[in-house]
Amino acid sequence: MNNDIIINTTKLTKYYGNQKGIEEVNLEVKRGEVFGYLGPNGAGKTTTIRTLLDFIRPTRGSATIFDLDIRQSSVEIHGRVGYLNGELALWNNMTGEDLLKYLGNLRGGLDWKYVQELAGRFECDLPRRIQGLSLGNKQKLGLLQAFMNKPELIILDEPTNGLDPLMQHEFYNLLSETKQEGRTVFLSSHILPEVEKVCDRVGIIRQGKLVTVEAIETLKSHSVRQLEIHFAKAVPKENFSQLSGVRNVVVQDKLLTCNVVGSLDAMVKAAAAFEVVNIISHEPTLEEIFLTYYDEVKNNVK
Amino acid sequence: MLNNIFLKTLRDQRRSLLYWGIGLIALAVVMALVYPMIKGMPSINQYLKELPASMKEMFGAGIVDYTSPVGYFSTELFSFMVPLLFLVFGIGFGASAIAGDEEKGTLGFLLANPVPRWRIVVDKFGVMMGSMVMLGLLFWVGLAISVAAIGIKISLLNVAEATISVMALALVFGSFSFLLGCLKGNKGMSLGITSGLAVLTYLLNTLGSIVNGLKDYRFLSPFYHYMEPNTLANGLSPVHILILLGLVVVFFAFSIPAFNRRDIAV
Repeated sequence: MNNDIIINTTKLTKYYGNQKGIEEVNLEVKRGEVFGYLGPNGAGKTTTIRTLLDFIRPTRGSATIFDLDIRQSSVEIHGRVGYLNGELALWNNMTGEDLLKYLGNLRGGLDWKYVQELAGRFECDLPRRIQGLSLGNKQKLGLLQAFMNKPELIILDEPTNGLDPLMQHEFYNLLSETKQEGRTVFLSSHILPEVEKVCDRVGIIRQGKLVTVEAIETLKSHSVRQLEIHFAKAVPKENFSQLSGVRNVVVQDKLLTCNVVGSLDAMVKAAAAFEVVNIISHEPTLEEIFLTYYDEVKNNVK
Repeated sequence: MLNNIFLKTLRDQRRSLLYWGIGLIALAVVMALVYPMIKGMPSINQYLKELPASMKEMFGAGIVDYTSPVGYFSTELFSFMVPLLFLVFGIGFGASAIAGDEEKGTLGFLLANPVPRWRIVVDKFGVMMGSMVMLGLLFWVGLAISVAAIGIKISLLNVAEATISVMALALVFGSFSFLLGCLKGNKGMSLGITSGLAVLTYLLNTLGSIVNGLKDYRFLSPFYHYMEPNTLANGLSPVHILILLGLVVVFFAFSIPAFNRRDIAV
């Protein structure tokens, strides 16, 4: 028993016939964190989520949510989880208000005042029929129904699909409020800056396999940074090429470019021996981190 | 109307039920209005006698006097048109009950709620039964009122019993397409297979009455159990109606594990 582990999967595997969905995924999501599940399309993000929600059944392995088995206790789990599906489809013949009331009734105990507050924040036109709504407005309804019951765990599959930047911002606010209340969010995304912005930890999945799970900070510190140093005079390459963590040093007259893994300390101290005009550091995006991990995996396979 | 899956599904059906109800009542009224004209044409009986046996069977087994109220309504309503309409409604509803929501992707919303899967099956099946009863009732009321207004002598109890047997027949095929929807989640496939099966079993029954080799297999056709008792003339036959309802129960019972076990594509 561990009350602080909200989602726990053990060698969770799902095949569709012979096709691989996910393979041996071991994952732990802790209480009160925003966990990002990152991977390109078709990597197995949605498969993982659907398995967790008992829409599809694992081929092998098991998982628990709130220490409850996902197969045995799916109904109880569903009562404590908010969910937004990736390819959002709503009943077109209803108004937004009817939709939320219906879903609220299926669960019971909906606080309509909170729904109205959320609707105000996301500028939802609840009395309108869903049929006439734009993609973004439908997505907002989808978000509302996932958050409106204030569930302990919220599972979101590609939550910012179709949201304009203002609404995205509002969504990020809602995420951090949720986190402050000690509730947990599991969100899948293929949008790297988004995950960087809102998540505490991130799991990277590729071709059905969980490549790594890291804190965002750790991920960045492992990453390779591209550095440009402009000197006042030409510098000797030998002073730099032997430094630890420094790769691909190229010196062209007064300009030095290189890649640095992790800390910049050694590089900066070596550079201090000369007159430095400018240092330009390219902060790696998760995309680059992503690629680094993928390369490592590829190399390991070889 | 939004308290549970049963009421929500019924709510989604309201337009469809309205139009089907209007159509069935209109059919009942028109056929009743035409009857007085037929009554005055006994020569039609002579014409019918000369029809080949297979066609006679299509008009209803054992109809002796076409110009009598029972003969007329059996032939015009209960041997083909009304079962056909109820079947279309039943098969259509059954096929889309689960598979429709699944193909649209809205089933995910239901499944993500603290609602067990069997409950979704029970509620949707309940709406199919309820809709069928509602349509049957509307049709019966339409026919009863017109018959009474025109002064046609026919037992309204027998009309009710014939309507019940139509509903039972339609529910057999409706619950079969419902079961296929639960099993595979493919609306088109459920519609296609069930409609094909309806045509085949219909032919088995009608051709079975004239083709000797098929005669022993007629009991396999739900249409046999619907047509054979000639319910409008004789009232319900307990054996035949129980066979039909038994099939409905079996298909319903299999629907729950079929849906429970499966991966849902939403």
